[in-house]
Amino acid sequence: MRSGVVAVALALLVLAPLLPRQASAQFSFDARRYGMGGVSLSRDGNARRFNPAYRALKTHGETTGTPKFSIPVPIGLIKFFKDHPINQLSHDPMFDPKSTSFNPFELTNLIFNPPIFYEVKKSPTPTNNVEITLGKNQLIVNLGGSRVLIPEQSFGLGSTSRLFDAGAGFGGFHIGVMGFLQYDVAFTLDSALRRALTDTVTGVRPGDTLSLLSDAIAQAGLAPTVGFAGRLMHGADPATDDGLYLGGAVHYYLGATFGRLTGPAQIRVGSPIFGTTPAVALADTLRTSNQHNGHGVGGDVGFVWVSGPFEVGVGVNDIGAELTWSDTKVQSISYITTTGKLVTRIDTNHVETKTKLPVTYIANAALRMGTGTTVGGDVVNSGRGTVIHVGVEQRTGPFAVRGGVSRDQRKKMQFGFGGGLRLGPIGLDVGFFTHSNSLSTQRAITMATAISIY
Amino acid sequence: MKALAAALLVFVAACGQGKAIFNVDVYSFIAGTGKDTVPYIIPPSSSATGSTVQKINLPPGFGSSIVDSVRITNGSANLLTTSGSGRIGFQLYVAADSAGTYNAGALALNLPDTAVSAGPPISVSISGDLSAAVHTVFSQPTVWVRFVANGSNPNALPVTGLQGKMILTALTIRVVVEDKIF
Repeated sequence: MRSGVVAVALALLVLAPLLPRQASAQFSFDARRYGMGGVSLSRDGNARRFNPAYRALKTHGETTGTPKFSIPVPIGLIKFFKDHPINQLSHDPMFDPKSTSFNPFELTNLIFNPPIFYEVKKSPTPTNNVEITLGKNQLIVNLGGSRVLIPEQSFGLGSTSRLFDAGAGFGGFHIGVMGFLQYDVAFTLDSALRRALTDTVTGVRPGDTLSLLSDAIAQAGLAPTVGFAGRLMHGADPATDDGLYLGGAVHYYLGATFGRLTGPAQIRVGSPIFGTTPAVALADTLRTSNQHNGHGVGGDVGFVWVSGPFEVGVGVNDIGAELTWSDTKVQSISYITTTGKLVTRIDTNHVETKTKLPVTYIANAALRMGTGTTVGGDVVNSGRGTVIHVGVEQRTGPFAVRGGVSRDQRKKMQFGFGGGLRLGPIGLDVGFFTHSNSLSTQRAITMATAISIY
Repeated sequence: MKALAAALLVFVAACGQGKAIFNVDVYSFIAGTGKDTVPYIIPPSSSATGSTVQKINLPPGFGSSIVDSVRITNGSANLLTTSGSGRIGFQLYVAADSAGTYNAGALALNLPDTAVSAGPPISVSISGDLSAAVHTVFSQPTVWVRFVANGSNPNALPVTGLQGKMILTALTIRVVVEDKIF
């Protein structure tokens, strides 16, 4: 059993970099990008993903200083396996809940921050004491320093991803098929539950109803696509990239499956608190597709304007993407206190349900000065909050110096800096960046290293 | 209440390697139930005990945890003697079941006795660390405690002996656990 848990954890570690993330801009193997606060000055990656007009532009070249590809140097893995020998993982306290050293926060942080790169400064793991005061009519929970981790607003995770996008084109037209996956899981603690976890004076009050509200949706499928990208106007010299580019794509979404769970989980505290049996209530609604027959139409649009050293683009995805599922069922899920079991009951079956894909977008700009300086920024929303990156790169001979700032999905400022050395077709890049991908209020600093092939 | 306690333990578990500390106001559960009172009747020139047993429910899930310490942080009782004079001591027995509290090995706390005589109540303080031998009991969701008034009456008179009751007025137990939950 334990080896199974370890295997799953390791699989997560390995796959985590490949999984669609809330903001793909937050995770990359490109050390250059990390050194610039997460901004991508190239025309691939996020720009191409979100803006169909970029199909009409060259992806890389000497003008953009973009490598053909980057190979990460996983220094973090070396340290990880030194600290956690692979032949002893089944007994490793990090993965063994029965160990006195097991800390669920550490394991969660590891999953949030796969140890590909070297962690220069880890965010401290909360290890404070928790004090609970129990009386017949009193229940106070003091989480100590961990109290700050109790979210005030809705929390969860979500993303809209295009798992693949294959096709062929001619004359600016593109025909293909893409796989889409959208999920969003959101939880909200009501005020009574928040107070129960944060108020160290009153705590839980008799008769309180403590609620955890959940709203989770996941849908996936294929989408045949027809698109066009081309240059509408060009500059004085048609041989350059200067001009206005426009791109668009129409998708016919073929939904394979979807599920949505909404509703609260509640505990109704007795009065007095420990004198009466509390009522546990679960009144959730689960909507699921009976058949793989979701369908709908949506589209992407985008433009890019290039004028000498200046480039700006805007791309918007999944506009009007509403899927109609003609055969779904609606079930209610409730908790029976007397038996302690969950009971599912079909309320309605073979009914139509409509779902939407969230509109996602990117706005990016870059200025490539003749002095080897490139300044850029982007605003990305991949379905759950906006992320802003601004960065700069200065190239002098074989050397490069980089810096940048970003505002992450938690609206926290993050910072990056780094450098690089290019020797002909090979370059070595190092980027340091702060992040708050951990269950902690403090930032961590990671050093990304990569070999770039030009 | 287990559901509420278990739900809260999720957050306890989420707080890493720290310790879980439970302050259990035992008195609040027994106040007014009659179990807060231990009568004592000690015949002349003899010793005797009176006791009452109480069950305490703790949050579940600490079965494999290590109990660091258990102590009474706040406790007091009034000794109200109605006849005679002598000495009354307080003892606390702890076990996993009711019958077990009558075993000698279940003795968790033994306080020095206090001289008593008929008249106004005498307040005594109850505090101290419980014996390490009973610590493991506190990792279980159910704990039984027995409060004992242990008295001695050296006097031949009155013939009714030493009579009275020990009335608990406060009792808070603090349990510190290495939180290896679930």
